[in-house]
Amino acid sequence: MTTHPTVSASGLTLRYGGTAALDDVSFRLHEGVTGLLGPNGAGKTTLLRVLATAVPADRGAFTVLGHDPGTVNGRREVRRRLGYLPQTPGFHADFTAFAFVDYVAILKELTDRAARHREVRRVLEAVDLSDVRGKRIKRLSGGMRQRVALAAALLGDPDLLLLDEPTVGLDPEQRMRFREVIAEAGQGRTVLLSTHQTEDVAMLCRRVIVMAHGRVRFEGTPAELTARAAGRVWSSAERDPQARAGWRTGLGAFRNVGDPPKDAELLEPTLEDGYLLVLDGEPVEVASA
Amino acid sequence: MSAVIDKAPVVSAPAQAGRHPVSAVLALARFEARELLLRIPVFVFLLLYVGQTGWKLFSRGGMDDYPVLHHVDCATQSGPMFLDIAVLVSVNVAVLRSRRHDTDRHFDTLVMEPWRRTLAHALSVVPIAAVTALVVAVEFGWAALQPGAVGHGSVAELAVGPLVLLLCGVLGVLTARVIPSVLGGPVVVVIGFVAFMVAPGVIGPDTVHWLDWLQPYVWEGGLKPIPSGLLGRPAAWHVLYLAGLTALLLCVAVLLNGRRTRLLKAVTAVALAATVGGIAGQSPSHEAALTAARDKVSHGPAPFQSCETHGRSTYCSFPEWTGWRDDWARVVDRVQSLAGGRAQGARLTIRQRIPVVYDLRSDSAIMPLHTPGEVTAGTLWGGNRVPEFAVGVASVLVAGDEESAPGPCDARVVTVMWLALAAQDDPKTAFRNVRLDDSVEGSAAVLGVTDSLSMSAGQTRIVRELLERPRYSVTARVKSHWTELTSPKTSRARVAELLGVPAAEGDDEEEGELCRQ
Repeated sequence: MTTHPTVSASGLTLRYGGTAALDDVSFRLHEGVTGLLGPNGAGKTTLLRVLATAVPADRGAFTVLGHDPGTVNGRREVRRRLGYLPQTPGFHADFTAFAFVDYVAILKELTDRAARHREVRRVLEAVDLSDVRGKRIKRLSGGMRQRVALAAALLGDPDLLLLDEPTVGLDPEQRMRFREVIAEAGQGRTVLLSTHQTEDVAMLCRRVIVMAHGRVRFEGTPAELTARAAGRVWSSAERDPQARAGWRTGLGAFRNVGDPPKDAELLEPTLEDGYLLVLDGEPVEVASA
Repeated sequence: MSAVIDKAPVVSAPAQAGRHPVSAVLALARFEARELLLRIPVFVFLLLYVGQTGWKLFSRGGMDDYPVLHHVDCATQSGPMFLDIAVLVSVNVAVLRSRRHDTDRHFDTLVMEPWRRTLAHALSVVPIAAVTALVVAVEFGWAALQPGAVGHGSVAELAVGPLVLLLCGVLGVLTARVIPSVLGGPVVVVIGFVAFMVAPGVIGPDTVHWLDWLQPYVWEGGLKPIPSGLLGRPAAWHVLYLAGLTALLLCVAVLLNGRRTRLLKAVTAVALAATVGGIAGQSPSHEAALTAARDKVSHGPAPFQSCETHGRSTYCSFPEWTGWRDDWARVVDRVQSLAGGRAQGARLTIRQRIPVVYDLRSDSAIMPLHTPGEVTAGTLWGGNRVPEFAVGVASVLVAGDEESAPGPCDARVVTVMWLALAAQDDPKTAFRNVRLDDSVEGSAAVLGVTDSLSMSAGQTRIVRELLERPRYSVTARVKSHWTELTSPKTSRARVAELLGVPAAEGDDEEEGELCRQ
């Protein structure tokens, strides 16, 4: 498969005081959904804010479809191609869902009124909110509000969609709906999905980036991340002291992740097992440059 | 190994389809304008403003129906004052909306830059300013189309109302950028109130007279109109000052949003120059000459007037009021036709006069003339002003000159009042309207162009009874007893007797008591 990268980032570094929120981060994003995994404080939100042009990096550069956000015109072009769902999106609570998305559409410079309203209806339909578009946002549930924010991000059919933990706080049914929408959104565009949920990545993402302490610890496919744990997950009656992580499963046995003893009863690894191992002092290994 | 083989990034074409920054600003301004109109304070005060103006237009009738256009134009300015305040506070709240709901951080990543959003907020006031301009235009146009409208309005005076509304909107925007709290708007309103309403009163109006013109609108209402040449209102400079200040505040707001281009700095400098130029231009440097001119015209209007003869009498007015001469002549002819003796053929001079005007905000009285046969006409006409003028005409016909007009102890008041009122289309209503207390019983002052007359209760009763009778029967008695009725020595009882009105108990006691004082 041959594609042009939508985003090409190299050496992104951003420090807050003495702390490196981003430390020499380089990666490329292509069409499809890419998961961004990492513990709290890993730098995921900062990376998304840098890519969303909300804050500039201290060092390094990136391009979106070849446009450099370091210049005024470049930044404008990047923003025109960008859909961004912040971690905790704000809403004008007195606006209706339609009015709020319409407002964002204007800020995205969709100026033709009829075309803009068609687009607002389209994105609200895409997130399954057509029926409540006339309701004030303050009357909508948390999940619905989150979908309003996603609808706003989808406006203008952006080439790059940055989603910062969109499924946090949603119940399983809402999360499933969100997955449907994100999967759909990933068709024909590039989506960077920041999340704590490894299931989201397993189910949605073509590629995955793992970050910790402001650095990229892994970049590859979910299968490659899962493969990191091949032969390193085993079952035992008691927690194995050699395991880097271990927990009792619902069946009563312990599931251990780490370096198994000889003759251990190996189990099928999951993406989460690979993720845990990548975070656990593994050397940084980038599957594709 | 990755399944993806990268190619070098390609630069995509600019995403321009259907997108233009200027159109986007206008689209946002339209959106914000709709939100602004739906805000309760703006909606309510806009309705009140439109309603009040409509009510004023359709309820004309009473005080002075004939518009003086260079008076009407000034009166349009403060009409939307509460709407101005509502717009200031509401725009301020609208600008702070993103901050209040924490959408700023998100919106700052969208294509439209914050300074363009600021500009859009300022532009959102334009539709309301346009509505204000329309209301002002209708108010003035309606007045100009009234029969008997005189004078001419000033576009600069008419522009002040809508301009002040724009200024308030922009001030609301700037306040939000400087004081990021919803209390900012109300605080600015209070500061403005103290600065423009309270401070001049505390410091003393004379001391800060020149500061008046720094106010958005300068109140000079409730006055008798004077010739436009004597107004001395620097309306054009004031408009320059308001426009410059509006532009300046907007530029500062945009600059505070980080837009610091050379062009914007240049526009800011021009706006500052316009503001300073406006302030300098409206400062009353020729105040002394203006006061002298007003003094001259008020003490000796004749050289500044043209005269015209209608029938027996001559009518002199300032050039802007020539259109009222026919109306004055009709009143004079009707009053004179009811008089007897030499009065019915007297040659009168109707002289339009203005009070001595040193300060346009003061409402000075016009002193009565002592020249025989000369009657003062004012600069207001229609409604109550007609019987008031008729009282002046009747006073001169009865007493010879305005200064000798009869008082409450002089029975000639009865004849004066009957002449003046019987000449009206609706004498009873005119009687009520021309009296200060709006009643037809008891003693009261009677309004006139110059000094007020006073009527005792007995005189009031006699006039009231005379007005109940057919005009021709009273006219016959007035004409036949003219000499005695117009003599200052004739008592009230005798006047009643001559006019065929029976005496009533209590009249003499009340009158005696009044005239002994």
